[in-house]
Amino acid sequence: MSISGLVLSIADNKQMLGLRYAEWATRAPSLEADIAAAAMGLDDLGHSRVLYGCLEPLGDDPRGPNRESDPASLSALPYFDEPWSSWAQFVAANAILDTAFTVMIEACVNGNVEVLQHRLRKMLSEERYHFLHGRSWLRSGIEKGPLDEAWRQALEWFGAPDGDTAALHKEGKLAMGPAELKSRLEEQLETKSPPMELSWKGWDVRRRRTKPGAVDAPTFGMLRGLEEKRFAPAAKAQD
Amino acid sequence: MVTDKYKRVSGDAVEYEVFARKTRGEPLHQVGSVVAPDDDLAAAYARATYDEERWIEMTIVRKDHVIALWSPGE
Repeated sequence: MSISGLVLSIADNKQMLGLRYAEWATRAPSLEADIAAAAMGLDDLGHSRVLYGCLEPLGDDPRGPNRESDPASLSALPYFDEPWSSWAQFVAANAILDTAFTVMIEACVNGNVEVLQHRLRKMLSEERYHFLHGRSWLRSGIEKGPLDEAWRQALEWFGAPDGDTAALHKEGKLAMGPAELKSRLEEQLETKSPPMELSWKGWDVRRRRTKPGAVDAPTFGMLRGLEEKRFAPAAKAQD
Repeated sequence: MVTDKYKRVSGDAVEYEVFARKTRGEPLHQVGSVVAPDDDLAAAYARATYDEERWIEMTIVRKDHVIALWSPGE
């Protein structure tokens, strides 16, 4: 995978994370947490737009025509395929996955690709508050299921020890490889990842995930703005 | 939705006052308050709730750390 493929995956994941955060803007356990969910959702949707905007200057844009028709064209994690049904899923995503994306952005900012060095830096300061929010709720204790799943998907997303991110690290495009990304995530969260064996069978290098599946058609339509197009005024006939 | 296990505020939650200013020339002034169980979450909540304006500085203070000299009616 090229660096632009990786940037597209960060963008797709942040778009989905923003959407799922926003779905909890009236369901979180407190009014403050509602507002934080809405604010973090806005941040991540904004970050995804900045990341999509990096694809052109990077060249080698990996987006094909099926981006407008196929939900499986998105390279987001299985964690975002379905809406979250519990607050524990929200917290696990906020603490583990959001921080994993930030750690990858840090690797881009400190790598040797100029456009990423400049355009992504501001995200790191905004993400600080997502991190504080996630870590604090994580410390209050949540169920193991969503936590283990988030860890598994984060570590898979970092890539295999000898895979594409390791190669990008070797080329200097990323300042960290899979092992360093994992250590950095653990250091940030002040905890070790749960013991687990990662299997790379079924690894889809383009989508950066091992499980098949995707968001449903209405969600995909909403993401692509297909729903809104129904309400758009009809195009004027050319004179 | 499974949120009933998570209370709005836990027994340890405290109130924090939020202060901010827009220019170096003005003093910090109170812009609101948040309720949170720890400093980290209070910072995240303050930023999420009161970040709509272009503050150059924002701080939070635990309300129980504020020393009152006198209060209304005293």
